[in-house]
Amino acid sequence: MQKTESPEESRRKLDKIVSDLTRSILLKDELTRFWFFILIMFAGVGLWGWILQIKNGLGVTGMGDYISWGLYIANFVFFVAISLVGLLISSVLQLLKISWAKPVSRAAEQIAIAAVALAGIIIVMDMGRPDRLLNIFLHGRYASPIVWDLTVVSTYLAISLLLFYIPLIPDLALLHERMGPELPTWKRKLYKVLALGWKGNDLQFKTVYHALRVLMILIIPVGLSIHTVTSWLFAATLRPGWDSTIFGPYFVVGAFVAGTGALIILMYVYRLRYGLKEYYTDMHFDRMGKLLVLVCLVYLYFNINEFFVPVYKMKLAEGVHLKTLFSGGYAFMFWFAQIVGLVLPILLIQLKFFRRPLPLSLISVVILLSAWFKRYLIVIPTMEHPFLPVQNVPESFHHYKPTSTEMLIMLFSFFAALLIISILAKLFPVITIWEVAEEQGIDKEYLTEKSNTQ
Amino acid sequence: MNRLKNIIGTAVLMMLALPVLGQDWIVPDEQAALANPSEYTLDNVKLGKAIYTKNCKSCHGDPGKNNPLALVPVPVDMASEKMQTNSEGSLFYKITNGKGVMPPFESSISENDRWLLVSFIQNYSPGREQVLLDLPPIKAKLLASVNEAQGLVDIMAEYEDANEVYVPLLNAPVIISSKKAFGNLKIGETVTNDQGRAIYTIPENTMGDEHGYLSVVVSLSEEYEAAEVILDKALVGTAKEVPELIRKGVLWSTNNNVSLWVLISYILSTGGAWMVIIYVIVQIVKIKKYSRSS
Ligand code: HEC
Repeated sequence: MQKTESPEESRRKLDKIVSDLTRSILLKDELTRFWFFILIMFAGVGLWGWILQIKNGLGVTGMGDYISWGLYIANFVFFVAISLVGLLISSVLQLLKISWAKPVSRAAEQIAIAAVALAGIIIVMDMGRPDRLLNIFLHGRYASPIVWDLTVVSTYLAISLLLFYIPLIPDLALLHERMGPELPTWKRKLYKVLALGWKGNDLQFKTVYHALRVLMILIIPVGLSIHTVTSWLFAATLRPGWDSTIFGPYFVVGAFVAGTGALIILMYVYRLRYGLKEYYTDMHFDRMGKLLVLVCLVYLYFNINEFFVPVYKMKLAEGVHLKTLFSGGYAFMFWFAQIVGLVLPILLIQLKFFRRPLPLSLISVVILLSAWFKRYLIVIPTMEHPFLPVQNVPESFHHYKPTSTEMLIMLFSFFAALLIISILAKLFPVITIWEVAEEQGIDKEYLTEKSNTQ
Repeated sequence: MNRLKNIIGTAVLMMLALPVLGQDWIVPDEQAALANPSEYTLDNVKLGKAIYTKNCKSCHGDPGKNNPLALVPVPVDMASEKMQTNSEGSLFYKITNGKGVMPPFESSISENDRWLLVSFIQNYSPGREQVLLDLPPIKAKLLASVNEAQGLVDIMAEYEDANEVYVPLLNAPVIISSKKAFGNLKIGETVTNDQGRAIYTIPENTMGDEHGYLSVVVSLSEEYEAAEVILDKALVGTAKEVPELIRKGVLWSTNNNVSLWVLISYILSTGGAWMVIIYVIVQIVKIKKYSRSS
């Protein structure tokens, strides 16, 4: 942190930061409209799929008596996984005082909010009678991991929202002060209300720091439990492929891989779209790349452990399950996820070239795709191998194939998640302005001033 | 691939099965020529009927009523022509060896009893005099009460005589059973005395529900048309030990038997997290308040 010389210098710098970081809010070109049109249209089409499902019942899905968890649950696990990036970036790295992670943290929080919100919605979509949702709270059984999961998802959502909101307060006051007619009045009013009459005095800053610190510490156990409990939905049963003691950490690390990948993509999009080269620098991508390798390596270790032990023993039921993964119907997905989605990125990202923004983002896309495959592989093949002998049931009960309705609803979940992120980016700066200013040595007193450019 | 296998498998099975289905039931000559060693008397036919009711009726139905179980091939009615063209020996052979759905009774019914069955079937032979007549059931009435202290069931039976007057039913068998989820389980039998009354002592080791309650059903034998008496919840049985179906602490246990440690962990961790969240919200309120201080 360098000390800035003169007030003029400080004001000039701050003006630039504000104009750079409000671009996401002000941008009103064709592309923005088109993007929102696409998002709303596809999300709408997907929603229509849900309406069909509510009308006709879960029979419109490919799920049946034996395979009662399908695309929805795989998708749910995927979204929970993605959401964990909030924990990693905006808590763990901040608590470790890793300063480059600061400008990335709001984007991470955006992903966390969108993903965990969708995870909750997907659960409801997987219900045959969503109108009975309340019964989970009224008659929930405390011994059931499903109730724990619901608890932990809503808790994590609450913390993520707070973790998004609290650092935003000073920015909101600043935006309200500085932005003029280029903003619609409702937006300015919104900023004013949410800014809570922020004056920027020491007491307020101290409270913000304190609240943030408390949240960052709280989100660690909650974040870890959100994915650990999700893994217990599987691991608390005796089924081959799920009956594992390392499922908790295995899921958590897998989540870091998927979330980091998602964040890199989002950073790249923001950098390109909102001209944020000076904020998401090559250095940031380089560091994110190294972080990605780190979590991938840990994940690889867990994968080896998760498969080596049962493969060595090849217990009867477990063996059947493993064979479908290694050489059966799921072999392509499995080896894609392991080699293209894990081993190859680890090797490539070692090279500096692949830690540059574009190559790293492309690798992240592949990682994200295989992360989705991985969730599908965790949920469905095991479902197809119940311990109970499958006898005298229609052939179609043995296999699961998602139907078009399920695809539609999945479409909804992806576009709705993107929509949430896009709306957040359209409403609020994607990088915390006051933190950047602080980093550049601009005194806090300038933050609450009215802009001199107006 | 799998479907193809299934089609081929089904086809092969059908080819194997068709000749069996269509084939006549061939009985070796020397077997067909065997004669029934048990005499054709009312007593023997009655004995045969009892065996029939127990072993065969579920599939073959009542003789002459054409009410068999819907199987393929259809179990043949005992009074039908198809059944009655069998010689004594071939009936015996068929009961002994079975065929397809018709089970072999060689090991489960003694040779003597199988011959008694033949006698019973012959009761419906056109060439013989029917010794056991299927009379229309006699209208009857039952009254019963239970004495829990002594474990007794007190029964009174009456029937409608030729003048359509109800008079005590003497020397008639009364069946005592216990009502279970899937039908009645017979406990024992007694006979009414010369006043139409019977007292039955429930055996001491009769199993009741987990408290020893038993639903005692009193009924008359088939020849009588009488509503059975159900003595609900009589405390005359021994208590059954019911293992707890749902153990504590597992995924599917109910809230009534959730393990304490699970409940406490859940409440503490959820409560703890939300306390902190509330604390942070209080901080937000404070931020608003501090805007008034300079
Ligand atoms: C599981 C049902 C079942 C039970 C129990 C059963 N049967 Fe049968 N029975 C059949 C069927 C079905 C057939 C016809 C078999 C065929 O024609 O292939 C049959 C055929 C017969 C036949 C041969 C009729 C003919 O076509 O010549 C006789 C005799 C017979 N049953 C007697 C008995 C007796 C006596 C008992 C009791 C001890 C008995 N069955 C119990 C199902 C049953």
